[in-house]
Amino acid sequence: MEPTEDHIYVIIFATLFLAGMMSTFVISMVFIHRQRQAQNRQKMDQIKSEHEKTLLNIENEIQQETLTHIGRELHDNIGQLLSLAKLNFGSIKPEKIAEGRDILGQAIQEVRGLSKQLNLDWVESININEFIEQQLTRIKTTGYCETSLEAEFDLIELPKDQKLVLIRVIQESLNNAIKHASPDKILIKLHENGKGKQIFIKDDGRGFDSTQQASGSGMFNLKKRMETIGGEFNLTSAVGKGTEITLTLPN
Amino acid sequence: MVSQILQAIFHWFTFSTNLLLIIGVIFFIKLPKKKRVNTKYWLPFLILTFTVICEDFGIYTNFNFEFKKAVNAYLGNTEYPKFNLWFFNIARRQIGVILYLVLIQYWLQPAHKKYINWMIYGFIILAVILQVSGIEPLYFNQPIISAIGANVILIGSGLYFIEMITHDQYLESNPLRLVSFWQMTILMFTFSLNYISSVALMYLYIVNPVLGKALQEISYGMWLCTLGVLIMTISSPFLPGLFEKEPSYGTN
Repeated sequence: MEPTEDHIYVIIFATLFLAGMMSTFVISMVFIHRQRQAQNRQKMDQIKSEHEKTLLNIENEIQQETLTHIGRELHDNIGQLLSLAKLNFGSIKPEKIAEGRDILGQAIQEVRGLSKQLNLDWVESININEFIEQQLTRIKTTGYCETSLEAEFDLIELPKDQKLVLIRVIQESLNNAIKHASPDKILIKLHENGKGKQIFIKDDGRGFDSTQQASGSGMFNLKKRMETIGGEFNLTSAVGKGTEITLTLPN
Repeated sequence: MVSQILQAIFHWFTFSTNLLLIIGVIFFIKLPKKKRVNTKYWLPFLILTFTVICEDFGIYTNFNFEFKKAVNAYLGNTEYPKFNLWFFNIARRQIGVILYLVLIQYWLQPAHKKYINWMIYGFIILAVILQVSGIEPLYFNQPIISAIGANVILIGSGLYFIEMITHDQYLESNPLRLVSFWQMTILMFTFSLNYISSVALMYLYIVNPVLGKALQEISYGMWLCTLGVLIMTISSPFLPGLFEKEPSYGTN
């Protein structure tokens, strides 16, 4: 074979090799894309199912909390009202009977109020501001501590899943404050800044070392829940200096 | 002379490019005004028009010897006054490469766009240095600039493919139904095969003209495919069942 012929073959094979290399590259890219697409879909399905599971858990917890609240109300409030009504009806004095009738009407009102809370429909009708107000009023009237709400905006148009998670996280944060911190005052602030809309839950209770892992499991759960709706959960606390929770809402 | 001009005009490559330009113009005119001002459509149209007009002007220079001779003399080439390589170098090897890089840039996410910007600046600086220093005069064959051009296009296409297999938006779509995928694939093939062709062409024309011509024909075919894919992009709104919505990051 002559050198010229050699060169020609080199050119032909180099061209074919290059074309083959590029074809292989493009085909493998398409295959990798398909593979990753399948993995991505699987991941998305998993995230979706986890999200649904979290929401279901939250709904159960809210129902449980509601049932506890109703039980307490039946025992402490309605039970007392009915006993008082019974005593009044036992009297022969007409004014006592009239008073008993009023008390009975009050008890009926309370029962109606409670019955509305038995399913989760109230979540649809209530907005976050109203919910926070209700919770703070409940805490204040039971005499646990002083409460206040400062709202720069109304959280009205929220998707149901976000509302459920926020309700549960706020509820749990307030329960934690009452159970563990013994505060004199709880302040909730709805504030908007560069990060977006935020809810601050602040108490002046005994606080704790938030860097310790033992105190973190419940908080981790709340953090995860906020993340499922695309939000953030931040907690700062120190012994004797109270606790501040910041919930950043998804944009 | 007239028969030579006619022969050049009716050469299958010239004829096909002009036909593709007419088809491209028709589709572009038919596009709604909102789409016409979108980079996704006007940039391929600009490249198509630029390429075909340059091809036609290249043919014209071959029949206007005085003009060609004057330009060559101005550039300092008195040895080969018949060459019109200066025009080929400016149009296809330099401006053409930059236009295709801008096209690739359109499909990339903002984080990757800056790499294409650097490549464009680097390519311009190197091309100017190589030409001003006399290493690769404008009027003669420019293998180094051609190699750099082909490589930046390959790197740009590579960036697109990396994005295609990593970015969520691309992972949600079928690449075979994206015009951007076909654009990048054809560009990669065209520039690399053309590079081989341009490097070997001079040699093959001397030792084996038949093979040289065959290689040239492959090059022509690849350019037609490139122009075809540009028309496919312009006409994609008329074929909604064939193409998927592009996950692009263009400004409009």
